[in-house]
Amino acid sequence: MSLPHYFLADLPAEATLTPKLLAETCAALKHNRRHYLVTRTTDDIIGALVEVAAGWLQPEGELRQLALDVGPVELGFSRPTLARGLDEFFRQLTRENFERLLEQEFSEVQRLDELVASRVERASGKTALATGPGLLVHIAAGNIPNPTLTSMIFGLLVRSAQVVKCGRGTTLLPRLFAHSLYRVDPKLAACLEVVEWPGGATELEQVLWAVADCVTATGRDETLVKIQRELPHPIRFLGHGHRLSFGYVARDLLNLAEVDHLVRAAADDVTAWDQLGCLSPHVFFVQNGGALAPEQFAAKLAGELERCERTAPRGGVPTATAAIIATRRQIYQMRSAQGEATHVWQSPDSTAWTVVCEAESPFPVSCLHRFIHIRPVSGVTEVLQVADAHRRQVSTVGLAVPRSQWAGVARQLGRWGASRICPLGQMQRPPLTWRQDGRPALADLVTWTDCES
Amino acid sequence: MTTELSSFARRVHGFIQHCPAGCCADSGPGSRDSDFNALAVALFQLQFRCNVPYRRWCDAQGTRPESVTHWTQIPAVPAAAFKEWDLTCLAPAERTRVFESSGTTGQRPSRHFHGADSLALYETSLWAWWRHHVPDGFVADRCLILTPPAGQAPHSSLVHMFDFVRQQLGAGDGAFVGRVNAAGAWELDFERLLLRVTGDGPPSTASAPDRQSQPWLVLGTAFSFVQLLDELARRDCRLRLPVGSFVLETGGYKGRSRALPKAGLYQLITAWLGVPVANIVCEYGMSELSSQAYDLTGRRREGNAAEFRHFQFPNWARARVISPETGREVEVGGTGLLRIYDLANVFSVLAIQTEDLAVRRSTGFALLGRAGAAEPRGCSLMPA
Repeated sequence: MSLPHYFLADLPAEATLTPKLLAETCAALKHNRRHYLVTRTTDDIIGALVEVAAGWLQPEGELRQLALDVGPVELGFSRPTLARGLDEFFRQLTRENFERLLEQEFSEVQRLDELVASRVERASGKTALATGPGLLVHIAAGNIPNPTLTSMIFGLLVRSAQVVKCGRGTTLLPRLFAHSLYRVDPKLAACLEVVEWPGGATELEQVLWAVADCVTATGRDETLVKIQRELPHPIRFLGHGHRLSFGYVARDLLNLAEVDHLVRAAADDVTAWDQLGCLSPHVFFVQNGGALAPEQFAAKLAGELERCERTAPRGGVPTATAAIIATRRQIYQMRSAQGEATHVWQSPDSTAWTVVCEAESPFPVSCLHRFIHIRPVSGVTEVLQVADAHRRQVSTVGLAVPRSQWAGVARQLGRWGASRICPLGQMQRPPLTWRQDGRPALADLVTWTDCES
Repeated sequence: MTTELSSFARRVHGFIQHCPAGCCADSGPGSRDSDFNALAVALFQLQFRCNVPYRRWCDAQGTRPESVTHWTQIPAVPAAAFKEWDLTCLAPAERTRVFESSGTTGQRPSRHFHGADSLALYETSLWAWWRHHVPDGFVADRCLILTPPAGQAPHSSLVHMFDFVRQQLGAGDGAFVGRVNAAGAWELDFERLLLRVTGDGPPSTASAPDRQSQPWLVLGTAFSFVQLLDELARRDCRLRLPVGSFVLETGGYKGRSRALPKAGLYQLITAWLGVPVANIVCEYGMSELSSQAYDLTGRRREGNAAEFRHFQFPNWARARVISPETGREVEVGGTGLLRIYDLANVFSVLAIQTEDLAVRRSTGFALLGRAGAAEPRGCSLMPA
């Protein structure tokens, strides 16, 4: 892959990143921020981001093609899966959506530009300004780009210089995004750096902690605790631990008229990013007593996953991952063979997809990679009982319930602890305004200046 | 039914005893493939009749006894199934002994039931292949076993094996220098170990090899060796066991000690116990099996390169490496899940699908380790 060496992650593998080089880079980023970023208007930055997104949505766009060519090997997703994920992400980046986001977070779109007053503030004779951190460091994990790209975009909106530190082998899309920004607006891109090193490179991390004003991190809970412990005291830390998600299908929709639409939506949620995201479902709870039984829903979902496999196959997996899938399948098949209420559907001659329907089980945590559980339930109350062991980790609940029940079920789930509820089929497509982990999207990043005049 | 099984067990005894010393599946004409096949197919038919959960498993796969003509066609039962079902041909009253897997805390263990006849066959099998890998001639009071004694670990197949070996050597129960602590975990009684090795005198720390004294046979799990080595390092107490001393290690770490790669473990054993790598053998076994594999046969002991260190089962147990994607055997050099066909498992199931990843070699296999949390449990969330 031949890209100019604009970012540290572009350097050949043999180039060693030293603490000195990293420190100099951070100093340059801060300098560039003062000259090229804090002076820009929100409107201007949104304009650049919308143009970047439009470039990614161009079928023949050079960087998009590069991502689709290299991604399957580097990231382990098939080309169609990657293309779909990128399309769904970049389609969100419209001017209207950015303005909605700013309004949601700050009441006023111009809040990051100048002292402005919301209706309430006007009434109390006040104006306020929000300012982002000088240097924002992101510790990214995993090979799904959405969380990292979203963090980078949010950092630009709040006018922060940024260092994005990726895990080994996962810089591809953050790098290409940075290059796409460079092509549209090199000065904005000069306030951004993408680096890669394996976790635990203490000397390099110490450099970042010494100059950062705010650190965001995604990863295992232990990793987050470790980072937070290492940070000098006044640095703001925003950690996002791992989450899991599930779906619920009400019996009223389990009929021949609706089921095809339902299984397509369910399959969309399973196949998006090969089920590897925190927003991907581990299990669909399916209510008993509909015209179609949960087992019939499961069988139809299996058929849909097989169809998806032909158009957007699952990415290749290491043998160790395939071994976990194969071993798990055998356990469920054994239960099925013993006459227990367990049914298994699976891709022939591969581990590409698996559907397991099992009654009376505890919350089935999937081994992912398109391995989905169906758990028959009597209703939402049983869902919450079964999921209670993971309550603190639940992110998204995908719902398929009649409109008349929607508000009641959603309220029940929200009170219980789910931080996002969406229609089935939309689980991996959160809007730009999504409050990750139930926290403000942008507002956690900024510091306010209140002006009473 | 049991009579029929006992009679079959005698045939397997005979097969084992008539295998030439050191004979394994890769021994060419000496491997008696057709005899193995005939026994395996006959045993499958017997187990299909006697073992109800196994018969259901075969039925679900559409495999009938009459359709199996070769041992590779015999359905393998997942090892984890031993946790949920009684995969045994023994009637409840005949299950006088049970070997359990040493899983992590809170996890249901595998249960492999034994009776008098199955234990006798287990011992015949283990001893025949043991003698080919572990030198003989160790005197009774020079056997050191780093696990708890059988009385404290009655459900461990490994301890049963070590106890059997101890009895064959004529060693007393004092050979065991491990114990089960209040939390139920295995640990070393280090003081007793040191006293046993050094007698009343100070540890032999001379730099020159001791060619005069009788050599030691030291048996233990990988984690018990790490516990021992860490303690020796802490005390800065370098033992030099006499020339000819021999180490057998087995099993993974399961979080009971820090985990070390094999080469690192062997280097430390050499450094702190004075036993050269050529005198260290690794055993692979599991409670669901009745035969074991070893990674260093006597004839290869001269070459210690890692590539020679691959495991072989004896002639009465065959290993295949199966692709998890396709369910078919991988080519030589390929990686997959290890599947074992063990004739000594007469009273349970002869074909076991393990969760261990291995590389197929032209002879035997190299072990890569456990595939991961195979039983659906806990929260194994992926980064996103």
